[in-house]
Amino acid sequence: MSEGDTRDDSSKNHTDESKILNASINSGINAVHVNTAREMTQLHTRARLPIHLQAKNENRNSSMPKPQRKPLMSSTFPKSNSNVSIPAKSHTGSCNNPQCTHCGQVIIPSPKSSLPIQDHPSITVNDWSIFTIKRPILNSTELDDLADSRFEFPLPEMIFGNNLVKLVNDKDGSSIEFNALDALDSLDEESSLKVSYHKEWLESRRSPSTASSSDIIDKSEKAQKEITNKDLKKLTDLDSLKPYDWTYSTNYKGTIKNVQFSETDEKIPVEKLLRPDPILFFDELILFEDELGDNGISMLSTKIRVMPTCLLLLCRFSLRIDNVIFRIRDTRIYIDFDTNLILREYKVQECSYSEVLKKISNKSNNDPKKLLRDTMWVSQNIPILSCTVESNTI
Amino acid sequence: MDLDTDVPMEDVSNDQDLNQRFEESTTGQGQQQSQPANSKDLNTSSINQLDEWIEKLSTCEPLSEGDVKRLCDMAMDVLQFEENVQPVQVPVTICGDVHGQFHDLMELFKIGGSCPDTNYLFMGDYVDRGYYSVETVSYLVCMKVRYPNRITILRGNHESRQITQVYGFYDECLRKYGSATVWKLFTDLFDYFPITALVDNKVFCLHGGLSPMIETIDQVRELNRIQEVPHEGPMCDLLWSDPDDRGGWGISPRGAGFTFGQDISEQFNHTNDLSLIARAHQLVMEGYSWSHQEAVVTIFSAPNYCYRCGNQAAIMEVDEQHNRQFLQYDPSVRPGEPTVTRKTPDYFL
Repeated sequence: MSEGDTRDDSSKNHTDESKILNASINSGINAVHVNTAREMTQLHTRARLPIHLQAKNENRNSSMPKPQRKPLMSSTFPKSNSNVSIPAKSHTGSCNNPQCTHCGQVIIPSPKSSLPIQDHPSITVNDWSIFTIKRPILNSTELDDLADSRFEFPLPEMIFGNNLVKLVNDKDGSSIEFNALDALDSLDEESSLKVSYHKEWLESRRSPSTASSSDIIDKSEKAQKEITNKDLKKLTDLDSLKPYDWTYSTNYKGTIKNVQFSETDEKIPVEKLLRPDPILFFDELILFEDELGDNGISMLSTKIRVMPTCLLLLCRFSLRIDNVIFRIRDTRIYIDFDTNLILREYKVQECSYSEVLKKISNKSNNDPKKLLRDTMWVSQNIPILSCTVESNTI
Repeated sequence: MDLDTDVPMEDVSNDQDLNQRFEESTTGQGQQQSQPANSKDLNTSSINQLDEWIEKLSTCEPLSEGDVKRLCDMAMDVLQFEENVQPVQVPVTICGDVHGQFHDLMELFKIGGSCPDTNYLFMGDYVDRGYYSVETVSYLVCMKVRYPNRITILRGNHESRQITQVYGFYDECLRKYGSATVWKLFTDLFDYFPITALVDNKVFCLHGGLSPMIETIDQVRELNRIQEVPHEGPMCDLLWSDPDDRGGWGISPRGAGFTFGQDISEQFNHTNDLSLIARAHQLVMEGYSWSHQEAVVTIFSAPNYCYRCGNQAAIMEVDEQHNRQFLQYDPSVRPGEPTVTRKTPDYFL
C-alpha cells in the first residue's frame, strides 16, 4: 500500500496523516496500544538511569528504588524551597512507583504494575500529601453489596469504585478526596432527558388499536398478541417507572474533611499554572463511565499535576447524549504549597447537540464528529452557565 | 471423517454441499465429483487465499482494501444462507464481546483451543472501542468463510452503520485505509450476520436479550434480518435488551430499550424448551455472570476492556453432555509490566 506516498504532502496535516497511515498499515496503530505503552514506559524509565544503574534495575526488588542522586530540576525552574518526599511520608504499604532519577517525576503507571491493575503512587510536598489509587472496576460481590446497602438505582456500567485521588494536609489532618461512590451520592432524583429516538421508540410499542381502548378491535389478531400489546401499553407507561438520573450528571465537588470553604473573588492563578515548572506527579484516572446504552457517554474522571510550589486537580463530569445534549461540570482544586491557600472552582457548561454540531459544520473533514468526542474541545466551545470560586479560611 | 456429522441438517442444500466439499478439500480428500450450481464455491485457490489472509491477519496486519472486498463477497455467500436462528452443534465454545482487542482474541484462541479444532460461537460486538477492529473483524470473517461449520458469528449492536460511526470502527478504517470504503464493505456485510443461534435446541444465544414481541423462537425465524439494526422492534430488542433484577418487562429511564425479569426468562425457556439463554452485551468484572437463577448467563470476552477496566474475560464451553465450563483469562500482557496506557503529563488547566 502506498496511499500515503501518493498523497499531497504540501500541507503539514497531510504529511502527518500519511505518516500515521503508513505506520498503521504496516503494524496497526501501535502508538496507542498497550504494548507500546509498556515498551515506552520501560524505555522511558530505563533510559533515564545512569548506565551503571540500568543493569541493576533489571532485577528490581520489591522495595522502593531510591533515587541515587538529587533530582535535577529543569533550567527554567525557579529555585524552590519545597520539601519533596516520594512516596508520601504517610504512605502505607509498598509503593511500586519510583521517582525518576533524572527529572524527579513519579513514574506512573508503575513500571512493574501487575494484573489486576493496582497502582498506588504518592508524593509529599511541604504539608501536603497526594495519593492516587488505580484499581479495576468493581466486581460482582462489591456491586451486590452496594446495591443492597447504598444505591437503589442501577450503577454506571464501568464503576471504578476503588479508585481515588486524595489530598491530605499532614499538619492539620484536613483532606479533599474524589471518589466514584461519593460522586454517585450527589445525583439528582431523576433526569428529564431522554435519548433522541425516544418518541419513535415509544410509538412503535403502542399499537393504535390497543392505545385507544382495551377492547378487541381487530379480531383477526391472535389472542396472544393482544395480551402482549396490552402489556406493552402498560409497561410503556413511563409514569410507573421508578425514575433515576440515568445520565449520572453528578453535582460532586469532592469529599471534604476539616476544610471550611467560603465564596471568594479570587481566581485560580492561571499564569502561574502556565509556567513550565517541572511536574513532579501527574496522574489521570476514571471514576465512572457509562456508555448510556451506546447513546453517548457519561464519564467522571480526574487529572492531577503537582508542581514544586502548587498543585492543580481537575475533576470533570462530561456527558454527551447523541443528538440531544452536551454537559460539562468541572471541579478544580488549586493548592498553594507555600501559603496553604486552597481554591475550589466549580463550573457548569451545557449546550444542545445541534448547537455544538453547527460549530464544526464548516470544517471539511472525513469524520466531522471526531471533535464531539474530544471533551477538551467541547469544553472550550460550549457556553458557561455558572462558575463559582471558593477558598479555605486560613 | 467425523467433521461431516457437524453439518447442520437445516442448512440450505447449496450451502451444505459447499461446506462438505470444502471440509474434504481441506484434508486432501476432496474427490467429490458433484459440482453444484453454485458459482462461488470454495476451490483450492480460494482456500489458499484464505489461509494466506489468516496468516497475515494473525500477525495483526490488516488486509488490503481489494482483499477486504474479495473477502466480504465470499462471506456474503456464506452468511446469507444462514438462518436467523442458526443451528449449532455441541461441543462448542461460546464467546461474548471482543471489541477490537485483537491480541486478546488471539489469547482467547490460546485459552479455548485453536479454531477449527474447537468449535466457536461468537455473540457479536467485534468492532469499536479497541484499537484493532479492522484486524479483529477481518480475522473472524476469514475464519467463518474458511471453516463455516466450525465457527458461528452473530451480530451485535455494534455491527451497525450508526454505532460504528460513533464508537471507533469508522474512525479506524479512515486511519488505516484513508477512506471509508472498508467500513462500508464491512457494515454492508454485517446486515447478513445471523442474529441468534440455537445450540443443540437447548441454549439460545444472542447478543442482547429477549423482546416483548418475541415469545417463541419461531417468531425470530420470521423476522427479516437483512437490514441495518433498527431503532425499534423485535430485532432491535434482541441486540440491545438487558436482564434485570426487577420482574416483568421494564423500560430504561433513557426512554428506549427493554429490560426483562426472571419471570420473563423462565417463561421463555419453558415455552421453547430451553435450558439457558446465553448473551453478551454487558461488561462484567469476572467475564461471566449468572442472572435469573441460572436461566440467563452474560459472557464478556474483552479482558481489560478499553485497556483500562481491569476486568477478566471469559468463554463458556458446552460439551456433548451439555456440561458447561467457564474459562477465565486476563489480557495478553505479561504480568509485571504496566497494564494501562501511560499518560504524558500535560499542563492542563
